[in-house]
Amino acid sequence: MFLARRLVLAHFWVAFAGFLLAILLGEWQMYVRSPLHGWVNNPEHYYRSVTAHGTVMAYVLPTLVAMGFGYSICELALKRPLIGLRWAWAGFGLVVAGTVIAAATVAVGRASVLYTFYPPMIASAWYYIGVVLVVVGSWIWVALMSINLRAWRKANPGATVPLAMFGNVTGAYLWAWTSVGAAVEVLVLILPAALGLRDVIDAGLARVLFSWTLHAIVYFWLMPAYIAFYSIVPRAIGGRLYSDTMGRVAFVLFLVFSMPIGLHHTFADPQVGAGFKFVHAAMTAMVSVPTLLTVFTIVASVEIAGRLRGGKGAFGWVKALPWDNPMMLAVTFAFVMLGFGGAGGLINMSYQLNETIHNTQWVTGHFHLIFGGAIVIMYFMIAYELWPQLTGCATLPKGLVKAQLWLWFVGMMVLSMPWHLVGLLGMPRRMAYYDYTHPALQPQAWTVTASAIGGLILVVSAVLFVYVLATARRTSDSPAPFTFSAPAHAGERTPALLNTFGLWVGMMIALTIVNYGFPIVQLASLPGTAVPAISVGGP
Amino acid sequence: MERDRPYAWSNAGFRWSVIALVVLTVGSFLVGFVVLPAVHKDFTVAGLWESICRAAGVPARWDAGATAKGKGSTDVVVVPALARTGGGDAIGRGATIAVQQCSMCHGAQGASEADAPNLAGQYPEVVHKQMQDYKRGDRGGTFMQTIARNLSDRDIADIATYYNSLPKARTAPARYSDTTAPALVRVGDPLRNIAPCIACHGGTDHKLGAPWLEGMPGAYLVAQLRDFRSGARHNDSHAQMRNMTRAMTDGEIADVAEFYARRDKTD
Repeated sequence: MFLARRLVLAHFWVAFAGFLLAILLGEWQMYVRSPLHGWVNNPEHYYRSVTAHGTVMAYVLPTLVAMGFGYSICELALKRPLIGLRWAWAGFGLVVAGTVIAAATVAVGRASVLYTFYPPMIASAWYYIGVVLVVVGSWIWVALMSINLRAWRKANPGATVPLAMFGNVTGAYLWAWTSVGAAVEVLVLILPAALGLRDVIDAGLARVLFSWTLHAIVYFWLMPAYIAFYSIVPRAIGGRLYSDTMGRVAFVLFLVFSMPIGLHHTFADPQVGAGFKFVHAAMTAMVSVPTLLTVFTIVASVEIAGRLRGGKGAFGWVKALPWDNPMMLAVTFAFVMLGFGGAGGLINMSYQLNETIHNTQWVTGHFHLIFGGAIVIMYFMIAYELWPQLTGCATLPKGLVKAQLWLWFVGMMVLSMPWHLVGLLGMPRRMAYYDYTHPALQPQAWTVTASAIGGLILVVSAVLFVYVLATARRTSDSPAPFTFSAPAHAGERTPALLNTFGLWVGMMIALTIVNYGFPIVQLASLPGTAVPAISVGGP
Repeated sequence: MERDRPYAWSNAGFRWSVIALVVLTVGSFLVGFVVLPAVHKDFTVAGLWESICRAAGVPARWDAGATAKGKGSTDVVVVPALARTGGGDAIGRGATIAVQQCSMCHGAQGASEADAPNLAGQYPEVVHKQMQDYKRGDRGGTFMQTIARNLSDRDIADIATYYNSLPKARTAPARYSDTTAPALVRVGDPLRNIAPCIACHGGTDHKLGAPWLEGMPGAYLVAQLRDFRSGARHNDSHAQMRNMTRAMTDGEIADVAEFYARRDKTD
């Protein structure tokens, strides 16, 4: 790396420090509402903790990881110093300042509205200002990614953008457009109410605007993991990337289809028409396509590694895989969790099936498994892979890394599978306590204990993760150069459309307007829809 | 050639990408707005255009099929602006009206000896809402309806300001950690959908429009809770209190009322 070493380290350390604190809060939540502990007397404390946990895990951790990884890719894949280093530090400063402001507001109990805001609940304005600063900081990153790519193109006319950078800029554009929904919600609807300028808020419109962000943000979280699947995993396990083009197709499909599908989060909302709910459900199904393409391509790439190592026959290559390699372990765990989580997601997006699990613990299980499981485990691998580049340390201790990955996988399964089960039985989510003395609930009590134990295993894994990173010592000033996966078919020509973003960004915006334009305009122009704002966090 | 003009219709990749997206979008809309509504009776009863409008979330007539309005609940929308109080002259005007018209029942200092609610230190938006409900007939009470009918909006605002300026009978709300409080006050009963009293009435949180209850006469609280339970009193926004009290037993009502009416040992 050239200039970005300290910058990326700063991003990662703030991300992982926040992650460690937030995971402790998550485990506390599981403990106090399990039968192991009496009722939490003040449910406000519980929701305060949920808000902090969600805000850090959903906004701060993935944003900082995506930014830090993005800056690294810029230098490692384009092989030139980052342009706009000062701006990058400014963006980082905004994210940190926003995090501190939002976290302090939550900590003093003035913002227990959960990270999804839920108007007409209104928190202290400082909370939203903090979140806005985090987002504005990340917009600087978006601009820098675009500028760096443009400068590289100018210096390398006609060359194909490296796959990692292509995915990175896809993630940046995706985030830029998806954050518009929540930004409009906060600036136009929530902040005026939070600042006392308005007494009422159009909660229905606010929820629709938030749904614009709420689903695509998931793909922004997921992008670093997918970039790692394509551009790091095959190299790390000694294989070849089966198809570079397929990676590009998957990335641009995310760009087009991740935005205009968010209304599937509002299936139970009366203000949205059934027709639009169907259209969004149908397009949500489309988003499974790039994931299936990715699973296929990565499994094929892994098979190449197995065959290169002498594996034969229909399944012999599986045995020949480097199971001793942490990356092999991580990608396996990630795909198992992605499989369960993805199958659960297909149920969430189906209009009718959703009715059975809407607002139950099933949903909590789903997003913990797919984000906390499949994606965050790849965040770990990204950090492990980049650490020698960032700190000059030797390769990290394999035994500890593998133990950490195993703990994370087992912990996540023990945490989230009971949630899925009781979700089907109807256990509601976002509850500060359950009355286990009730004969109808008593048989489900063990599941909450099981999840609390799963959470404890995750805490151990998170501590181990930070320990491994913190104890890595510098061994040389010039680490071995970082490489990305080599394609199986070298010299394959990339179609020009898959080397640029114009068509896909155009489709993304057009489809969003088609799918969201009418509901937003109609709700915004409908009179008499505002309800009194309910300020949260009184005496 | 394709490298030169990636965004041209002659480029097959571009052409098929656009066509595929348009076909998918149009197809989804046709299914969602025409095919699926066609199998629902309530969507199709007024023709194709109406069914498309309904699928878009815009029925031509919003209240078609709605049942006739029942007995009124409340028309007052409680917004934070109602919680703002006037200055010194508002207190003076409010005191003048209050001494003449309110003090006989509600006490000279807003603390009642007659089992009428204490008003000293009451939140202004609470007084405002109740007076407006009396004025419009949404809350029953022969005396109060008669008195409220003759008060202007400004009179009511001034009375609310005046009572808010007086010291409360008890200043510390019950907290969740106070184990002498009945369970319903502290933690409610989730399985019967009864929220804790202190979630709205102070202690854990105070919700706009929820009155200050500490030190209220017990007989008044019992009467109100029973009236909410039977529906005799129905001016609570969104039936909040009617829903809370529906599952409460006589014993629980007595316990909760007795707790809020408790006196400090020094009294």
